[in-house]
Amino acid sequence: MKTEDYYYSPIISDLQKNLSEIKRISGGSTDLMVNEFYCGGIRCVLLCCEGMLSTQTISELIFEPLMHVEKKASSHDLFKHIQDNMLLAVDSPVAENYGQLFRLVNSGFAVLIADGMNIALAFGVQGFAMRGITEPTGEGNIMGSHEGFVEVIRTNISLIRRKLKSPFLVTKLFVKGDKSQTDLCICYMQDRVPKKLLNKIHESLDHIRLESVFSTGYVRPFLESGSFELFSSTGTTERPDVLCSKLIEGRVAILIDGVPYAIIVPRLFCESFQTLDDYAFKPYYSTFIRWVKYAAFILAIFLPSVYVAIAMYHPELLNSTLLMILVQEETKAPLSLVTEALGVMIMYEIIREAGIRLPKPVGGAVSIVAGLIIGDAAVKSGLISTPMLTIIALSIISGFAVPELNPPVTILRFGFLLAGGMLGLFGISLLACAVLINICSTEDYGFPFTAPLSPFKASGMRDTAIRTGFRKMQTGGFTVEDYHE
Amino acid sequence: MNRISGGQFAALLLVSDAFTLICISGGVSLITTAAFLAGIFLQLAMAIPAVKYYNSGGSLKYAPKPFLWFYLGYILLWGGLLFVMIWNTADELSIPSQNFPVIPEKLLLSGLIALVCLYVSSPGVRPLSRAAVVSAALGAVCIGIVIIGAIPRFSVDNLNNTYNSEGFFHELAKGFVLSGGLGSFIVYLGYTKTSPMKCTIGYFIGKAVLYTAVTVTVSAVAGGIMKAADFPVITAAEISQPFSTQRIDSLFLIVFAILAVFAISVQTEAAAWIIGVLFPDFTRFRSTFTLILMICAAFLLSGAEPYNLLYAAAVPTALFIVPLIMSRIRRKGEG
Repeated sequence: MKTEDYYYSPIISDLQKNLSEIKRISGGSTDLMVNEFYCGGIRCVLLCCEGMLSTQTISELIFEPLMHVEKKASSHDLFKHIQDNMLLAVDSPVAENYGQLFRLVNSGFAVLIADGMNIALAFGVQGFAMRGITEPTGEGNIMGSHEGFVEVIRTNISLIRRKLKSPFLVTKLFVKGDKSQTDLCICYMQDRVPKKLLNKIHESLDHIRLESVFSTGYVRPFLESGSFELFSSTGTTERPDVLCSKLIEGRVAILIDGVPYAIIVPRLFCESFQTLDDYAFKPYYSTFIRWVKYAAFILAIFLPSVYVAIAMYHPELLNSTLLMILVQEETKAPLSLVTEALGVMIMYEIIREAGIRLPKPVGGAVSIVAGLIIGDAAVKSGLISTPMLTIIALSIISGFAVPELNPPVTILRFGFLLAGGMLGLFGISLLACAVLINICSTEDYGFPFTAPLSPFKASGMRDTAIRTGFRKMQTGGFTVEDYHE
Repeated sequence: MNRISGGQFAALLLVSDAFTLICISGGVSLITTAAFLAGIFLQLAMAIPAVKYYNSGGSLKYAPKPFLWFYLGYILLWGGLLFVMIWNTADELSIPSQNFPVIPEKLLLSGLIALVCLYVSSPGVRPLSRAAVVSAALGAVCIGIVIIGAIPRFSVDNLNNTYNSEGFFHELAKGFVLSGGLGSFIVYLGYTKTSPMKCTIGYFIGKAVLYTAVTVTVSAVAGGIMKAADFPVITAAEISQPFSTQRIDSLFLIVFAILAVFAISVQTEAAAWIIGVLFPDFTRFRSTFTLILMICAAFLLSGAEPYNLLYAAAVPTALFIVPLIMSRIRRKGEG
């Protein structure tokens, strides 16, 4: 059965036929609970989805009051009485078709249908099991809040609202995913967001025709331009405090039900190097840390390729002592430098992937096998030289300093290694030109990814090249629109 | 039309100029510096009709087609000449070509640069101008390193070797030949969102600083052996070694590759834009087509003497005479 076959069909007023239709659409699914009873002398059915609601709440707040409704002349009178005189739940929408009815039931609402009525009353009594608010695992922080987003969209909205109590914070829920019927929420500060940006994001979201939405990766391609971009022009965060700071800068956020991450639009390259801790420490230290991260990013991409290029084709760049050490070590290794580097890097990616996918107790064993057995044994057996292992390890560890850029950094590391291995520094330079133009052409909704570096904005440098103090930062009223081209 | 800032405009053209300066052949002395500076001042004066043309609301897009054809031909020929410069300078550079034994080293170098230019020029003028700013900054840092490295080898005696140059007017003409990128100056001036006058003055000041810094350093470092140097800037870079136990020659390869890619891409983008105006239906593969034409132009120009008066005369034509005629025609049209 296709969704469009039932979605807009109006609810049948005859209760028996209505129930038959509901069972037909649901295919007799076992988690659909159908509770038939009389309320005010009218035959009614309370529909709910097993495991999605709190049985205590439904018993106390819905069944109990409904059982005591005095006799009514018609089902219309009954529904009017419930709607006008009984406050059974804070959230009480009305369903007029089967699409709405099933969405409400499957979202944890208790839905009341009555004989003779072509609408259904729903009561928000959600009470499904969910993960508690915990510290984000992917965005470490020392001095700031330790709260992270969870899978429930309404909890995430409340986490944002708790930090931004301004009435200008707007959250708008909508549904995407033909089959998953996933709730999405667009958030913005209506006094800060550029109106054009908001309209264009709405247009982009209108193009989503997916059957399901299970992660940010389903939505992000629709928010980015279709051209090939190495770096993503939309960002994600699992921290409500980070998201709030972005919203204040006039950005737009999209929350997805079931996903503990929020999408931020637009995202700039320099933001990958900014963390909330930067604003907790003294500016001089934050500036130092920021430059360490810039250096780490460069090392993560270029270190193996430059090492291979210099060792193979441009040894005159090294001083004689260093050159002698390298020659001594590399002559023992049986493989060529490029093969050696490629082997170590691929090995690392395999170990990393295995560590992530394996169950946690076994994951630790992978680290031991990788670090102690493979690493140590490979060097001792002479398969890999110590300098090469050191260089690759340094490069990989540098990549961890900017975790958000890890996917493109990994690919670029391989690309530059091949370029350096084949054509030395000349190859690296040519590939760098191509990568540079790719980064510079990354632009969505008129916000260049490389701002404020190029196009250069002097005002943006106070939180890019350095991190000025809040006494200076509080003036200026920066919004992302300052970077619009 | 995509708009670029004054800084981006200057970066686009200065990157191109820096590359031609690297590829300069023949002697360099303080006379060269003086002649180049005089040439830059003349070029600034010659650019005034173009500035006025754009200030009065003129646009190359709506200019009579023969002028567009002129600029297209000019830029394609200059692009071809840039390829010739790469080809000639490749002798001085050594790229690791042992992994490609069947391809001659010079062909490999030029071919790879052309291939990267194809990708670099395809996204349009705005990404190119943003990238040019980054590469110009990188180029400035590298030139700074070379100059710092050269300071211990500075010799006043070398600066006195004015016999290295072939006279003021010859050097002036040479400066004009090296300024072939001024054809694209006319095209990009129409893209700027800053005042055309400010952009023009900013660019020429930057050019004067660049030419002075490079030529004075080259004269001071390599003045004594200038007669033996085919490419004085490259020779000066080879002599200027900031460290005693290691050489940085290979780093020059990075500067050369990056500047070459951007110098040609700047011309490709400008020519592709003109092709787009002349043939509005030609929407795809314009950059590819432009590059092919430039390579063809390079074959045509390959045997020619790079510093001849004809090339030098082409610069005032593109910079002064054609914009002056365009302004007159526009004024008549308005009248």
